[in-house]
Amino acid sequence: MVITVASGKGGTGKTTIAVNLAKTTSDIQTVPAKTVWLLDCDVEEPNAGLFLEPQITEEKQSSRFLPVFDLDICTGCGRCAEVCEYNAIAVAGGKAMFFKELCHACGSCTLNCPEGAISETPQPVGTLRRGEAGNLGFAEGILEIGFSSPVAVIRDLKKWMSCGLDPEEIFILDASPGTACPVVESLRNSDFALLVTEPTPFGLHDLKLITQLVRDAFSMPCAVVINKSGENDGIIEEFCRERNIPILMRVPLSRKIAETYSAGRLLITQDAPLMNQFRSLFEKITLELETRSAAR
Amino acid sequence: MTSRPEKVIKGRDMQIAITIEENKGMDSKTSSIFGRCEYFMFIDPETEEFTTEENPAKNARGGAGIQAAQLMVDNAISIVISGHLGPKAHAVLFNAGIAAYQFQGRTVREALEAYNEKTLTSLFEPDVSAHSGQA
Repeated sequence: MVITVASGKGGTGKTTIAVNLAKTTSDIQTVPAKTVWLLDCDVEEPNAGLFLEPQITEEKQSSRFLPVFDLDICTGCGRCAEVCEYNAIAVAGGKAMFFKELCHACGSCTLNCPEGAISETPQPVGTLRRGEAGNLGFAEGILEIGFSSPVAVIRDLKKWMSCGLDPEEIFILDASPGTACPVVESLRNSDFALLVTEPTPFGLHDLKLITQLVRDAFSMPCAVVINKSGENDGIIEEFCRERNIPILMRVPLSRKIAETYSAGRLLITQDAPLMNQFRSLFEKITLELETRSAAR
Repeated sequence: MTSRPEKVIKGRDMQIAITIEENKGMDSKTSSIFGRCEYFMFIDPETEEFTTEENPAKNARGGAGIQAAQLMVDNAISIVISGHLGPKAHAVLFNAGIAAYQFQGRTVREALEAYNEKTLTSLFEPDVSAHSGQA
């Protein structure tokens, strides 16, 4: 089972919900225990590790294939620059110029070069790490500074972890904010999307966007968690009613919770009622998925 | 395969491109940025005949400077006049042998005067960092 935690808006508490859910879920596994993994897919700023303090046991480089231009063969025809969607190639002075920071490693230039002047060589773009935080498995991707495509690192991380291949394993993915390519890559092949929002106009606005991505583009079952919940929950409730999205949990807006978070501690270690809520959150997600597949 | 075909306007061997903010002929306000400027004005400094083209790179997700510089190369421009010029665009222009000058006054007319009086500053190096022209 693969659950991706996403939000659209940044700062709503994706990581908080993801790490607490993952830790609780691994704690409640009874014999035969399923392995629970937390994958930090926010590779531009992975921070789930701060809360889980995992022991890293393995590390691997994430590479992608970048074009290398043989300028002795290059005739400066400009086909590579024409097909490059990302303006990573120019042709000036009769030869190709390559700007690797802009390259998304799509391979179009190599495929289209009529002279065969372009070859591809693997170049490191990030680091993958995995290990364990107690009974919870942990893995994260870290994008190399200066590179613009986190997608390759996320894809590599999921592949390295065989994410979703073994039904006996539970994966909880902490996605990056937004609704762009990195989030799409994180959501790909997930069974369920947990949308973390906050009861503000900004939270609602981006919840609508992420709902469009998850529901309308991916046709993926989803549910909402309202973080910093309080008297303004109405705007989120109204939207969820309209779109028929269940609200599975509310984390109250509280100073104590904020302090626990700022100290890098898990909420479930400080707050027994919250721990019970996280415990039932996983059960509710399982139930949602079962009802879904039964209805099909 | 022959080399890249270049659009050379017949009878003109020298073309200047000026970055502008608005399409108002010789009175157009010049632009301080290159890659994401609104329009380019292509001018023959001898005859002062000109054409104006909307900058196809102005809303590029990335690499606007590179795309705009490529437009200069494809149009066989000899000289670029802009308020500023970033490192990637500068590299492309440099490799193509296109000279870049800085103009921080107001209008195209003034820029041309300065060019003719040879009072423009050469941009032998980029004068701003990458992404400076992003809104």
